[in-house]
Amino acid sequence: MAAESPSTPNSPVTVVPTPVNLRGLTRVGAKPSFPRYLGSLWNYRHFIYFNAKADVQTTNSRDRLGNVWLVLNPILNGLTFYVIFGVLLNVSRGMENFLGFLLIGVFLFQMSSRAILTGSRVIRGNLKIIQAFHFPRAALLIGINLRELLAAVPVIITLLLLILVIPPTEEISWLWLLILPALILQALFNLGVGLILARVVSMVSDVGNVLTFVLRFWMYGSCVMLPITIFEPYPALKGIIELNPLYHLLEIVRTAVLYSELPQWQSWAVLAAWAFGMLGIGIIYFWRGEESYGRDE
Amino acid sequence: MAVTNEVSFALEQPVVVLDGVSMTYSVPTTAREGSDGARRVLQRQSSSIVIALSDVSLVARRGESIGIIGRNGSGKSTLMKLINGRVPPTTGAIYASSRPTLLGVSAALVPDLSGRDNIMLGCLAMGISRAEINRKFDDIVALSGLSDSIDRPIRTYSSGMGARLQFAIATAVEPEILLIDEALNTGDDQFKGQTKAKMDELRSKAGCVFLVSHSLGVIKELCSRVLWLDEGELVMDGRPEDVIKWYRIFTKHLAAGDRVLALKTKRRMVNELRIPAVQALESGRRSSA
Repeated sequence: MAAESPSTPNSPVTVVPTPVNLRGLTRVGAKPSFPRYLGSLWNYRHFIYFNAKADVQTTNSRDRLGNVWLVLNPILNGLTFYVIFGVLLNVSRGMENFLGFLLIGVFLFQMSSRAILTGSRVIRGNLKIIQAFHFPRAALLIGINLRELLAAVPVIITLLLLILVIPPTEEISWLWLLILPALILQALFNLGVGLILARVVSMVSDVGNVLTFVLRFWMYGSCVMLPITIFEPYPALKGIIELNPLYHLLEIVRTAVLYSELPQWQSWAVLAAWAFGMLGIGIIYFWRGEESYGRDE
Repeated sequence: MAVTNEVSFALEQPVVVLDGVSMTYSVPTTAREGSDGARRVLQRQSSSIVIALSDVSLVARRGESIGIIGRNGSGKSTLMKLINGRVPPTTGAIYASSRPTLLGVSAALVPDLSGRDNIMLGCLAMGISRAEINRKFDDIVALSGLSDSIDRPIRTYSSGMGARLQFAIATAVEPEILLIDEALNTGDDQFKGQTKAKMDELRSKAGCVFLVSHSLGVIKELCSRVLWLDEGELVMDGRPEDVIKWYRIFTKHLAAGDRVLALKTKRRMVNELRIPAVQALESGRRSSA
């Protein structure tokens, strides 16, 4: 109850007690309950898809090569790492098909780091849409990860073609299909991490600056260009790496594609636990901040 | 003023209720003294508190179109942002029967997308189904008057074209509560005519319209009730003719440089103001989160 006391004592403001029927009214800006939030995300599925599609269209629309960059980018990246780690530093000693090992690592890690980086900046990047419309904000993050998943299709096909073409060549096997569930788990993990970071960065935008460095450490800790045997002398470090979901993602894909073996169930277990765990924590954590996104400071 | 028909007032279902809403901003100020580098980097800027709105209460009912007038910096836009839910009030609370839609002057949605795609994106973002968008699409384009340039990226649009597109998108959903912040001042005479027709249509559909404008003519023409804000304070709340009359007297005194007389006019109006002290009949959802 407000307005009971006049703001300035010298002016006798008339206060009229006004009974108001507040039934059917909700507080403006209040977030919906968690189940209703999830329901509204489903209702906005067409928006999520359209947004993802529009993003793919506009991201490279001002470049001459357009969406060719989706494929060219990881190839150039892989080449850089090959020159440094394969040729100059010669890390590959004794490894069969080091190039394949490296390409899988670079391609897949880049997918995660891109999805997570874009996800962390989603609130500031979409401020206009957020301020103009009232949709569940998590839709934007789902859109980003859907877009990355769609963009991953040509990238993965390129990756497999390179592995088939560049010697030592591998043979196609049914095990290659295991890439699909692995990629879906990866996308769910990216979404969960993105949801958490989006809220953190919207509160403390400085975190966004640190993120690139964290991702660089994470890359070395995911055995993108170095085999895990490098870490044998440091058991503590090796233990940490064996908890890293992206290390296990790379293990799964490398085992299936390069070594034509069934990936270990432990790798699946760690990856799946992280994916569903982060998604669950991420969506709840993001929903709790729903009211604060896109507000003018 | 006599005690009016408060009982019948109470029985009516309100659309928007503001219950003692205040808004204070903490604004960073550039300190003039002590400009040595290290201190500037490490210390955050000093800030001063600006009161944008102080203790505004009002009850808006179905079918009302409420004009908001006042000088620059009087809190008109802040009030609109608060009702829209874009910023939370510092104290008090705002209740509404549905999410109010704010039409502002900021037009561009996604600059790299065409007008067509922006209509799709905007409508989907408002939760309209695809089938309904397809049905409404031609009407939206017609209202925006952009049929020739609908496939161009909207970064190539003029600001007037952008404002028209946003108005057309935002009214596609027929919002129950519509907030218009100076949007009517953009656009040519033809568009103004269309806008007025659309506004009349929305109001006739039992909506509630809040309109901020510096044009007293527009306010008088379109509104059934007018709020006068000055320096964050609600000065008058009543019939358009009365409020506009006294506001004109106030600004005339100011223009003549007679601040004392102007403030005296304002004080007099504030003293006559009757502030509703909101008493909830139904528990409602007064506090969540």
